[in-house]
Amino acid sequence: MRREQVKALNCLFSFLSIVAIVACVVVSFRVINFQSIVSLVIFNVLFVSLPFQLNGSLNRKLCLLALGNMTGLCWNYIFNLFAIVAADAFGKIFLDIYTVFFPLLSSIWIVSFWALSLTFLHRSRTDQGVNL
Amino acid sequence: MIFWILAIIFIFLTGLMLAYLVRHYIFTITVLRGANKDKEHRGSEASAFEPTVSILIPARNEERVIERLLERITELTYPKDKLQVIVVDDASSDKTGAIADDYENKYSFIEVLHRGKDEGGKGKAATCNAGLKKANGEILLCFDADYYPTRDIVEKLVGQFVDPTVGATQGRVVVLNEPQNLVTRLIALERIGGYRVDQEARDKLNLIAQYGGTVGGFRSSLLKRLHGWDENILAEDTDLTLSVYLAGYKVRYNVDAECYEEAVDNWKAYRRQRYRWAKGHMQCFFKHFWSVLKSKKLGIKEKVDALLLLNVYFMPIVAFLSFLTGLLLIFFGSPLVNLLWLFVPICLYNFVGNFAPFFEIGVGLYLDGRERTQLLIPFLIFTLFYNMPICFKAFFDVTTGKIFRRNVSVWVKTSHLGNGNCYIQNLSINAS
Repeated sequence: MRREQVKALNCLFSFLSIVAIVACVVVSFRVINFQSIVSLVIFNVLFVSLPFQLNGSLNRKLCLLALGNMTGLCWNYIFNLFAIVAADAFGKIFLDIYTVFFPLLSSIWIVSFWALSLTFLHRSRTDQGVNL
Repeated sequence: MIFWILAIIFIFLTGLMLAYLVRHYIFTITVLRGANKDKEHRGSEASAFEPTVSILIPARNEERVIERLLERITELTYPKDKLQVIVVDDASSDKTGAIADDYENKYSFIEVLHRGKDEGGKGKAATCNAGLKKANGEILLCFDADYYPTRDIVEKLVGQFVDPTVGATQGRVVVLNEPQNLVTRLIALERIGGYRVDQEARDKLNLIAQYGGTVGGFRSSLLKRLHGWDENILAEDTDLTLSVYLAGYKVRYNVDAECYEEAVDNWKAYRRQRYRWAKGHMQCFFKHFWSVLKSKKLGIKEKVDALLLLNVYFMPIVAFLSFLTGLLLIFFGSPLVNLLWLFVPICLYNFVGNFAPFFEIGVGLYLDGRERTQLLIPFLIFTLFYNMPICFKAFFDVTTGKIFRRNVSVWVKTSHLGNGNCYIQNLSINAS
């Protein structure tokens, strides 16, 4: 397959992925809070706009993207539950502390998963022997 | 009232951080898009352009590293009859001068300039200025004593000067002792973000590519016109970068002109080095801010990039203040903070280490063909937190120095222990 075709296919799937993600985000609005959704959007924008341009099979990229979103959803859901329980036990001040540290907690999974996925894409490049 | 003042401060600071984030995002995309073209075009710049070149090597107590550099200098592929190497022994108390003298006796193109205790020890800028008086090449390159260049580095750096608008050139710095420990590994990540992506993007976008103080050089006539290195500025490289642009010339970056450096290997040395850089950068901010704004030789995008570059060591302070004002606003129950608050961590990563965000470093690692180094990226947050107090102290010292007219330009030299020597044999450039 020619490079241009691969690029066009990548662009198409990137667009479809974003549509799918927006749909998922809308659905998950009831489960997680607004902040969590924005952190997922940040992750997706960074993932779709950068690693999708690197070499590697499209399937692998889509799987990593889906896995990243699931990780983010679970991470946020668990932390939200934890915050609710802790606020119930320790008072509302805990919710304020959670709000303060939420961005830092979010960055942990965003950066870690993003970095991890790059190692997989590198392996993919080595496996296929494709030039950038 | 206080609420609104805080809100405006918070939005301004967060907006500033977002500006850096967008800037680095554009850099990353630019380098990614240009990766294919580069492979096709690299090497095509090699030409028959062979001006006379003077190489300056400022050295103070570098006995553990200078021999490997001088040995490498003798292996350079550039015609030796067009080469003048000047080792400036800056009042060393160890064997640096004696080692350099040995090479001077063996090779006609190597000269040694000894500076006595009364005139020496005043910093790199003063040492380089002493060397500049002796230099007679059309192009002047500068290498720190702990560096180890590729054999064809002179051709690659000098080739850029074919363009008469180029006033300075810069090559890529790679960490030699990267596997040594966590500190050197994290510094290597910063270097990759800075030199594989950041510098290259600035060069491609015709923004302010930076002369990094070493592995680079100048058109000698221009440097002399600029009166050499400013001895009152600790970040003499950034100072000269801005001076070159303000004089109507530009700095070109060549990612293929690789040179290996021995990075500091402990947090104390890291702190000292970064403190010097931060202080020097802030001095440059105060020196060049208005000149950049008023310059008629710089376009709008160059001015914006120059100001962002000058401001970069203030950003850890900005990040902290943004966090602090956001905190206060949350406790005031502000509705506007929640959304902007989300950008803070990603922006914080923007100022990690050498001020390259995680995605820029990740893409740099990918382009370098690294396999597992990406896993260290999350650890860079520690260098950010480490840099915050360093930048605060530098800011305090520079501003109080300005107010009370105190001299804050005390050069604290980074010691080089020769820890990189054992890694030289493993370098791919030595494989043949």
